[in-house]
Amino acid sequence: MSDIALQGIGLTRRFGGFIALDKVDIAVKRGEIRGLIGPNGAGKSTLIDVLSGRAKNRAGRVLINGEDVSGLTPQQRRKRGMARSFQRTNIFPDLTVEQQLRVASWAVADADIAEVMDELHLAGLADFPAAQISYGDQRRLDLALALVGRPSVLLLDEPAAGLTTEESFTLARILRDLANRWNVTVLLVEHDMQVVFSICDRISVLHLGRQLGEGTCAEVRANPTVVAAYLGTEA
Amino acid sequence: MSTLAHDAVRYAKKPRGTSATAVLLLAGAVALLAGFALPWIAPSKLAMSLFAQALFDALLATSVGFLFLQNGRVSFGQAAFSGLGSYAFGVLVARNLVGAEAALLVALLLPTALAFLLGLVIARVSGVAHAMLTLAVGQALYEVAFRWRELAKGDDGMSFDLPARIFGVSARGLQDPAVMVVLAWSILVIVLVGLALFARSRTGMVAAAIRDNEERARFLGYSTTLPRALVYAIAAFVAALAGVLQASYNGYIAPQMFHWTVSGFALIMAIIGGAKFIIGPAVGAVALFYIKDFAGQVAEYWPAIVGGALVIVTLTMPQGIIGLADLLWRRSARR
Repeated sequence: MSDIALQGIGLTRRFGGFIALDKVDIAVKRGEIRGLIGPNGAGKSTLIDVLSGRAKNRAGRVLINGEDVSGLTPQQRRKRGMARSFQRTNIFPDLTVEQQLRVASWAVADADIAEVMDELHLAGLADFPAAQISYGDQRRLDLALALVGRPSVLLLDEPAAGLTTEESFTLARILRDLANRWNVTVLLVEHDMQVVFSICDRISVLHLGRQLGEGTCAEVRANPTVVAAYLGTEA
Repeated sequence: MSTLAHDAVRYAKKPRGTSATAVLLLAGAVALLAGFALPWIAPSKLAMSLFAQALFDALLATSVGFLFLQNGRVSFGQAAFSGLGSYAFGVLVARNLVGAEAALLVALLLPTALAFLLGLVIARVSGVAHAMLTLAVGQALYEVAFRWRELAKGDDGMSFDLPARIFGVSARGLQDPAVMVVLAWSILVIVLVGLALFARSRTGMVAAAIRDNEERARFLGYSTTLPRALVYAIAAFVAALAGVLQASYNGYIAPQMFHWTVSGFALIMAIIGGAKFIIGPAVGAVALFYIKDFAGQVAEYWPAIVGGALVIVTLTMPQGIIGLADLLWRRSARR
């Protein structure tokens, strides 16, 4: 089996005349946490959308564990081990925490939900409708829905958005821990650079729909083009 | 204490439910048995007849409410399926085209199958557009029944005689208020318990998840069309039950059974009773039936009284009668 769990080759996405993604290549190794950073409008969420099947790519291919899934629906990609979370909290507000995790588990061969509830500290909230729990709990629930069934590839679009510093680092710690223990490959879009640099193995930088650079955290921090385009001198 | 630990303590006080399914089945069994007392406690045959008619309305309102509860869709055309059930049964029996048992099966399965097929298409549409599509389907069938005189005498409607026996049992009882009130009550109770069990089942829970957030359900790996179409079919089956019971009790079918006003009243009943609860629409239907009956006795312009009651309920009980009862129950349980 290929060492690459997630691969995008020449991915292109246009909105009318605007090119949101321009022949972007990305390859993420199994078990790696890859950060995806860049200024607003760089194409990060669009890349996640294209990789997950939410948006159709104009050109290019998407491979999960070496299998070309370009023509597959999000449902079919989920069956092949790809899960994702969304920029805005995307849960089932009227279902209880346990009910919606069960719904998630039924889609992936009755996967165990107890481990996800424990890992994400949701066990005490099992009977509460999702609409009634705090925002921080909802974000962890959002992540838990994606983690049910131990997906091989996890695409996360700003999972720490709106969280306090403490909540962000707790989430980052959980993510790093699960990626190691469950061998999950993660592609993480995040604006909180402290979170990104604390858990990512490598980082890809997008700017105006093109890949600006890629490397380890130290390499990206030292890349003058990336610093000029996005990080600034504070990073 | 960390935020997480604090939240765990804050939320952990909520007790977990006991075996709700067992409670539900027990309540259903008690309600079924209680139904047999109805002919003895009703003051007159007229009262029994009125209550039987209210139960037909309750079934139709339950159908509308179930569609809203499980699919999050508002229908202005559910009378299409009760009307189709009535017409299929009435026409097949009146013309002796098939046996009574087969007529009954066709009357229940035809609307169910039609709703499933329609559901595959219109389930993808939401909001006002969905409501208009259901209205269009209902009114299209109304027009067919109204203009097709050879089918069932068009706008005059058609009366028919019930066969002597259905499933080996005398069919005369279907037009006896004492029998019909027990039969309709029993069917309503079984339907309510069945729908509640469905809502707790895997398919029901998946349908509720799709209602809440279709996109997320897709990304969890679900096809979002089939569960919705299934809910349409179940709702239509319940509506068809109402139609068949009504047609057999009255021995009469008419195009008005398809009319959007019937669907509209069913929706109002569901709202008054509480469309977010399985039992709510049935309670709303019975309440509205008697409000209508009372208003009709005291005033010529009774719809104004019904409208006023609807305004009051909507303003004071946004979750309906059962919603208010549920709220009061939860408050008292917290004390």
